[in-house]
Amino acid sequence: MDAIAFYVSGIVSLIASLLVVTRRNPVHGAVFLVLFFATVSLEFLILHAPFLAVIQVLVYAGAIMVLYLFVIMLLSLKPEELKEEVKAGRRVLAGAFSGGLFLLLAYAIRQSPRVASPSAADLTAPVGPAAPGVGTTEAIGLELFQSQVLPFELVSVLILLAIIGAIHLTRKQRAAPAPSVPLRQAATIARGALSPEPRPFTGGAGRPAGEPVRPAEEAVL
Amino acid sequence: MTIAAILLAAFGLKEALLLASAIFSVGVFGVLSRQNVLVILMSVELMLNGANLALVALGRAFLAEKGTAGPRAASLAQVFVVMVLAVAAAEAAVGLAILLAAYRRWRTANAGEISGLSG
Repeated sequence: MDAIAFYVSGIVSLIASLLVVTRRNPVHGAVFLVLFFATVSLEFLILHAPFLAVIQVLVYAGAIMVLYLFVIMLLSLKPEELKEEVKAGRRVLAGAFSGGLFLLLAYAIRQSPRVASPSAADLTAPVGPAAPGVGTTEAIGLELFQSQVLPFELVSVLILLAIIGAIHLTRKQRAAPAPSVPLRQAATIARGALSPEPRPFTGGAGRPAGEPVRPAEEAVL
Repeated sequence: MTIAAILLAAFGLKEALLLASAIFSVGVFGVLSRQNVLVILMSVELMLNGANLALVALGRAFLAEKGTAGPRAASLAQVFVVMVLAVAAAEAAVGLAILLAAYRRWRTANAGEISGLSG
């Protein structure tokens, strides 16, 4: 029974992942990505990881996909903007590379002594006597807060940095404040410039010099 | 394979790892062949999920071993997946923020047209 569920969810997840990378509209891709996350969560459940199965749905399908859909909504790309001019040769090259990568991985899996060992032959086999608690919230929490507490704290720092970085990147760019007069004079003297005033700063912070800022465009953002 | 064979069949570590590497390869194909930054980021999520699946399957294979080392290894594999999940969330947040900033600058989500760094 487990094996059927594993094969069915595996085939569905593979088809869903192929649809994610081939659909032109990113909204369709996001919907298939949700299906993919759901089937992977089912595979986690079969592989004796119930906590991860729940977390997969909560974090991936719940949080990360909402983030993606919000960004798709903010961009509101028009159909003609979704056209991609990819050369056929590049697509063939990408297919050849990823296919070669899969064949290489399959060869490595075939050669691995770990895979050939009898304990790995059947993942549906009953677990050992010490194992029934594995994969529960309790087991993962104990491991996370006892032996892995340093990586756990480092991950929290990483998430904090990601939050700060995301806020900084998406903040609206304000005009740079004009330097104070003594600083300006000092710069002029140091350069020995002939012009009494330094050249005005023409470009905005995120815009090439010479390209005018269209007011309507700024209002949209 | 007939239906009866599938009903009786079990799946081993080999099948699980093959599925994980197939998902990873699909993600690599998406990153290499697509131009839309959103789809590229989604393909990266596919790759991370393939790696997660491989980790969980390897941990499950350790569970069948005798003694306490096997269950410990399985727990550690799942803790590692939790870490990967957190990194994936951070990656999605920063990646999408960069996409929004680049969209303001170039008015496109197409990676081929965002070419400011190459001059």
